[in-house]
Amino acid sequence: MEWAIHIAGAGEARTELCPEEIDRFEPGAALRPTVRLAAKLIGEYFGPVRFTRCVYGNEFCEHLIPDRELLKQSLAAACERGLRFTLLTPYVSDAGIDALRPLLDLLDREGDACEVVFNDWGVLNLLRRDYPNLVPVQGRLMNKSLRDPRITGVYGASDAPATTLVALRRSNLDCASYTEFLRRLGVEHVELDNLPQGVDLSFVEGDIKTSLYMPFGFISTSRICMAAGIHYSKRDKFQPGAPCHHECQASLLKYTYTNSPFDNRDQGFYLKGNTYFYTHTEAMMRAVFEQSRAGLIHRLVFQPRLPMTWERIS
Amino acid sequence: MKILAPISSYDELEMLAESGAEEFYCGIVPREWTERYTGAVWLNRRSPKGGSLETFSDMKRLVDHAHRLGIPVFITLNAPYYTGEQLAWVTELARRLDGEAGPDALIVTDINLLLQLSLAGLNAALHVSSVAATLNTEAIGFLLQFNPSRIILPRSLTIPEIERVVANCRDRVEIEVFMLNDGCAFEEGFCATTHHHAVGAFCTSLSEMDTEFEASRGRRLTYRQEARLRRNLSDYREWIWYVNGNGCGATPAGLPYGPCGLCAVHDFQRMGVASLKIVGREASPFKKMASVRMVRDIVDRVRRGSSKLVTIERARSLRGSYEHCDSGFMCYYKVDATER
Repeated sequence: MEWAIHIAGAGEARTELCPEEIDRFEPGAALRPTVRLAAKLIGEYFGPVRFTRCVYGNEFCEHLIPDRELLKQSLAAACERGLRFTLLTPYVSDAGIDALRPLLDLLDREGDACEVVFNDWGVLNLLRRDYPNLVPVQGRLMNKSLRDPRITGVYGASDAPATTLVALRRSNLDCASYTEFLRRLGVEHVELDNLPQGVDLSFVEGDIKTSLYMPFGFISTSRICMAAGIHYSKRDKFQPGAPCHHECQASLLKYTYTNSPFDNRDQGFYLKGNTYFYTHTEAMMRAVFEQSRAGLIHRLVFQPRLPMTWERIS
Repeated sequence: MKILAPISSYDELEMLAESGAEEFYCGIVPREWTERYTGAVWLNRRSPKGGSLETFSDMKRLVDHAHRLGIPVFITLNAPYYTGEQLAWVTELARRLDGEAGPDALIVTDINLLLQLSLAGLNAALHVSSVAATLNTEAIGFLLQFNPSRIILPRSLTIPEIERVVANCRDRVEIEVFMLNDGCAFEEGFCATTHHHAVGAFCTSLSEMDTEFEASRGRRLTYRQEARLRRNLSDYREWIWYVNGNGCGATPAGLPYGPCGLCAVHDFQRMGVASLKIVGREASPFKKMASVRMVRDIVDRVRRGSSKLVTIERARSLRGSYEHCDSGFMCYYKVDATER
C-alpha cells in the first residue's frame, strides 16, 4: 500500500514529513484531536510511515486552483525528494477549465506521468483529449455514496435491512459495467471517503485501484461560499462563483449537531470556505486500516488539515 | 422555449395544462423498491411518499392523457448512483416504462445508468439531470457520447456562464435551466446528504445548530472579527431561509415565494434555452398551478416581444412583495436589467 500526504506547498514537500508532526501542519484546536488520533493509529497499525507520494491542489473550489508558478515549485520540490506527484482538481465552470489548462500544460511536460484527480466530467474530457500523457484518477466527489453523518452512521449501527446497508455502503463502483467504462477512459484508480456507515470495498476484487482520504470526509460543497460573502454588501452576498479574497483561509466554523433527533448531539461538522466536512471516529479509522491490511485499499492519503489551503505568491 | 412543470398525479394534469404547462416531469416509485430498500434509499431524489406515482397503470394513464393534449412527459430515474443490484432493477424499470407507458424522455444522473440506457434501444430520449452537475462546456462534450437530447444545468450557474455554455452547445443538445421554487444551498450533484424526514435538509438543519468560529494558524479572533463573522453567518442563515422558499411561504393570493428566475426569462429566450424548469414534484397541486401561471405570464410577454425592462418590472410585480425581490436573496440569477 502506498502512503500519500496532501501538502500545502513546496515548503512541505522539501522536508521529511511524518504524521506525528501535527503542530507543524496547524490543523487548529478543533481538529487537532482528530489528526492526533489518526497519527497515533497509523503508528499502531503500520509503524513509522514513509510518504512516497504528495498530493497538491484542491478538490472543492475553483478559486483555490493553485497558481502555475506555485505548482511548478511544488512539483520541483517533490521531484527533488523522489516523491510521486498528484494534482487535485475541483468541479469547475468554463472559467475553471481555463484556469486548469496552464497547470496541465506544465504537468504534461514532466517526464514522469503525473496523476490528475478529476472531480468533474469536463476535466476528464479535457485530460483525455488534450493531455493523454497525464494519468486521470476519479476523485471522491465523483463517488456518490451518501455520507451524511447526521444519519448514515445511525443506519450503520442499527438493524437496518441488509439490502439498505449494502446500498448505502456501496456506489456505482460495484457495477462491473462502470469500472469497465472507466478503464476504457483510461481511469484505473478511484478515490473514496471513509463513510460513517462503513465502506463496502467488495468491488476491489476487480482490477481497479483505490485511494482513501483520512481523517476528514466531505459532506457537501457549493459554488456559493459563506466565507466569501463577508466582503460583499448584503444584497450581493452568496452568489455562485463570486470572486473572493480567499476569506476561507482566515477561519473555520464548527457546527455542533445540537438539534439531532438521535443521540449524536455532540457530533461536529466543520465548514471551511464552501465545503462541509466530518471527522473520522476511531472506529471508522480502525475499520479502514483493517481493510488496508486486507489489500482492499491501495493508497491512503493523509490530510493533516482540512483540504482547503491556498498559497499566496510571495 | 418551453415551460416544464412537475406533476405527481393524473388529477393534476388538466389543471396544469390549462394553466400553461408545456412539458411535464414526474417520478415513479413502485412498491417493490420501497419494500426492498426502505425509506432510506431513494429511487429518484424524492422520498417514496413524496411526489411520485406508484404504478405503471397510473403512469400510462398520465402519459396517454398528456400526449392527447400534445404535452410530452419525462420520467425521473435520477438518483446520484445505483449499485449493481439496483442498476439491473432500474434498467428493467426503464425498459418497462418505455414499453408500457411511453414517456418522451427519462431523466438520468448516474453515468452508468446513462451508459446502459444509451445502449438499450429505448424509444424515450435521455435527459441528463441537474444532479449530474454539468457546469461547463467540456462536461457537455463528455456527456454527448451518450446521445442525450437535453442537459439540465444546475441552479448554480450564472447568466454569463449559461450564455457561454448555450452558445457552445445549442446546436448539439437542448439546454434546460431552473426557473422557479426550491433552491439548493449546495451544489446538488456534490451534496452527499439526505433529505430524509428524520433529519430534514442539511442546509436548513445547520441553521438551528450551535456554532463556534476558530481563527486559522493559532491566532485568536478579535471581538470585531468575531462580530463580523457572526453578522455574515446571520445573513447566510437568512439566505438559507429564502432558499427554502421563504420558509415554505406564499403570498396571500397563494403565489409561491422562494428561488425565482422570472427576471431572466428574457435572457434565456435570447440565448436559445430550450426549457424552463419549475421545481416541486412533491408540492401541493395549488402551488404547482400557481407556479405554472406565474411562469406562463412572463413567458407569454417575452414571446409577444415585451422589452427586457418591462418584463422584469412585471416579474417583480407578480407577487407584490418587492421587499423580497429587493433582498437579492430570492433570485436564482443576477440579471442586468440595463442589457438588452
